[in-house]
Amino acid sequence: MVKVPPTAGHLALLRTAVGGFAARDHFTLDQVDDLRMAVEESAVQLLRHATGDFITLEVKATEPGVEVRVHAEVAGSEPVIDESSFSWTILRALADDLRIEMQQGHATIVLTKHRINVTSGPHR
Amino acid sequence: MSTYNREDTKLLFAELQRTGDQTYREELARLHLPLVEYLAKRFKDRGEPLDDLVQVGSVGLLKAIDRFDLDRGVEFSTYATPTIVGELKRYFRDKGWAVRVPRRLQELSLRLNKIIAQLTQDLGRSPTVSEIAKMAEVTEEEVLEALESGQAYSTTSLDAPSGDDDDAPLRVDRIGQEDFRLENLEYFASLAPLIEQLPERERTILYLRFFKGMTQSKIAEHVGISQMHVSRLLTRILEFLREGMEGDAEY
Repeated sequence: MVKVPPTAGHLALLRTAVGGFAARDHFTLDQVDDLRMAVEESAVQLLRHATGDFITLEVKATEPGVEVRVHAEVAGSEPVIDESSFSWTILRALADDLRIEMQQGHATIVLTKHRINVTSGPHR
Repeated sequence: MSTYNREDTKLLFAELQRTGDQTYREELARLHLPLVEYLAKRFKDRGEPLDDLVQVGSVGLLKAIDRFDLDRGVEFSTYATPTIVGELKRYFRDKGWAVRVPRRLQELSLRLNKIIAQLTQDLGRSPTVSEIAKMAEVTEEEVLEALESGQAYSTTSLDAPSGDDDDAPLRVDRIGQEDFRLENLEYFASLAPLIEQLPERERTILYLRFFKGMTQSKIAEHVGISQMHVSRLLTRILEFLREGMEGDAEY
């Protein structure tokens, strides 16, 4: 878990952390980049609503791939990203699965990315 | 190669400003590509594929074309040079080139560039770190180190479809025919004016990645630049859009 202050300058750390994890965890370079962008976009959105001292990133290896949770304390319980927003569109394109968990002052953006089957050889 | 002609340039600008016909803009870009190539070569010792540098410089050229005012009475090439050089410098600055990368890593990075391109082609997708390590016969940590030094994400530029013939059009021109529809993005009303400010290539990349779900490697192949460059452009585009939503931004 990586915890950084909720300022724009610290978001690069989250980006780097998730990238380093995914690259070591057999994701393709494209996917590594998708994850980095997705985490950055998530964190930027949380930043707008953050009321606490930290934005946290949690990365968990799962069976199909990886689950990434970006969390912040927020005011209110309105979803931090509107489903009709551009931000949502971006995240949908970058992640295989996307949801937002809102509960009593806590917002968590949960992204999952499936590892592609890399055991298959060249297909040409 | 078209012979550079100042009178042609003036005429083309006059027509462009009179009619707004984008054909004149493209013709101006084509006419000044040798200037971009000349300037890009000045940066070629820094470990980046020349193709990418020419692409970056071309963005500067297009900006200069869009901002040039005939009435200023200066030669266009004089006007465009600082814009093109500025774009190239910004590219290196964005990459954090202030940090010196050890020679060993630079060499490994250059070698990995070729391996990544090769693997991308063979596998039909972007490779993983362990696949790269295996082919390069180095450890995964060494690959990561080289990748993190920020130079080796490049995939297709070395093997990109040839566009280097002297009379070949700018690659930027080729994607002009891409079925890009601003309407797809107009749904996001606040974004439309920002997206309009993006150069055509950037708009295409944005569209292909987020609305067509195309991978960076595929986009790289499609547009004729490296995957690393696509990645960098996407990051920059998103940054620009975010800033733009907040207030003032200039791409």
